[in-house]
Amino acid sequence: MEARFNQGACPEFEALLEDHLTGELSGADAKKLAEHLESCAACSIALEQAAPSVELLRAVPATADPGPGFSRVVMARIREEMSKRGEQKSIWLPFVSLAWRFAATATLALAVLVTFDAVRHSQYGPQTNLNYETVSETRDLFPDPSSPPANRDEVLMMVADTDHGKH
Amino acid sequence: MAAGASAISLPARARKREEEAELVRLAQSGEEAAFEELIRRHQQRVFGLVNGILRRREDVEDVVQQVFLKVFISIKRFDLRAAFSTWLYKITVNECWDYLRKKKVRPLVYETDLSEEQVSRLDGVVSAERPPESPARRAETKDLLEQLLDELPERDRELLVLKEVEGFSVQELAEMLELNVNTVKVRLFRVRARLMDVYHRRVDLHPDLSAAKGRSKTDGSKI
Repeated sequence: MEARFNQGACPEFEALLEDHLTGELSGADAKKLAEHLESCAACSIALEQAAPSVELLRAVPATADPGPGFSRVVMARIREEMSKRGEQKSIWLPFVSLAWRFAATATLALAVLVTFDAVRHSQYGPQTNLNYETVSETRDLFPDPSSPPANRDEVLMMVADTDHGKH
Repeated sequence: MAAGASAISLPARARKREEEAELVRLAQSGEEAAFEELIRRHQQRVFGLVNGILRRREDVEDVVQQVFLKVFISIKRFDLRAAFSTWLYKITVNECWDYLRKKKVRPLVYETDLSEEQVSRLDGVVSAERPPESPARRAETKDLLEQLLDELPERDRELLVLKEVEGFSVQELAEMLELNVNTVKVRLFRVRARLMDVYHRRVDLHPDLSAAKGRSKTDGSKI
């Protein structure tokens, strides 16, 4: 079988060849293509190959107008669809409203917590707080910081002297 | 072939566009009559577009209705920077592709070869010697052509049918498919060649007709 499929049209001329086939080529472009076709066998063959498609496709009729009643049918469907959507919305409305209230309450509670925490931190920063607790515990354990315990027995004795041993 | 948008003169087109913009504004403000008028103005082209992409599917009318419903819902978001038709056609193309994706529709492929009589009829169309006379004949020829078209790659076939059968201009196709105008032209030219390749393969199966066709070859390609 003869290989007829167009594989050889010059890519830069394909758009012009299409315009020529549909009768939309004129002026300088028409002249440019005519000159090119005189010297390019590949484009001439491709054009000859594609040309009958115009006639062939003319035998297929365009889709007919659906008629004046169609727009009314569409509008009826749109109204039906919109009313369905409206009904669906009203079914879910109480749940949506409740969800919004819950979300608002949760946000408010979170905001109060964050504010309270921020105020607390500004009064007693984490570093100050730690130091305060450390110093307090050290004072309890070692009432006299100038003479720290030298060994394990002295530590036990000091603990026995303070309130810690009694708890 | 349906008349393309390019057949309308520039002032008339500008006037039509302004009129349409007014209808869109009214529809955006909730005027149902204006929206119905927009449907009336575009229903045939939207039908052609859907039919050109889905082809012989029974759901064409349903998809068209779905398109207009989507347009109705989202018309308030349309900012009138582009032509209403461009926006509408884009929605239509996307709806068709969604439909094909959801239904996982495969292109129809005909396994059987055309009969000698069928090839003869198609050959008559190509050489313009025997144009189909009656509506029944025309319908039959259309069916034969559909068989040829079904052998083309889906997206290229869409282009060819929308341009040559439904009458969309290259510019419109480029806008709705978001392609460069030159790309559309190149793809159209290539798919024409493919279509004729399919046609010749069918005809070559009938040597007598091939010989007759050779004698009556058309010279329509000459400049």
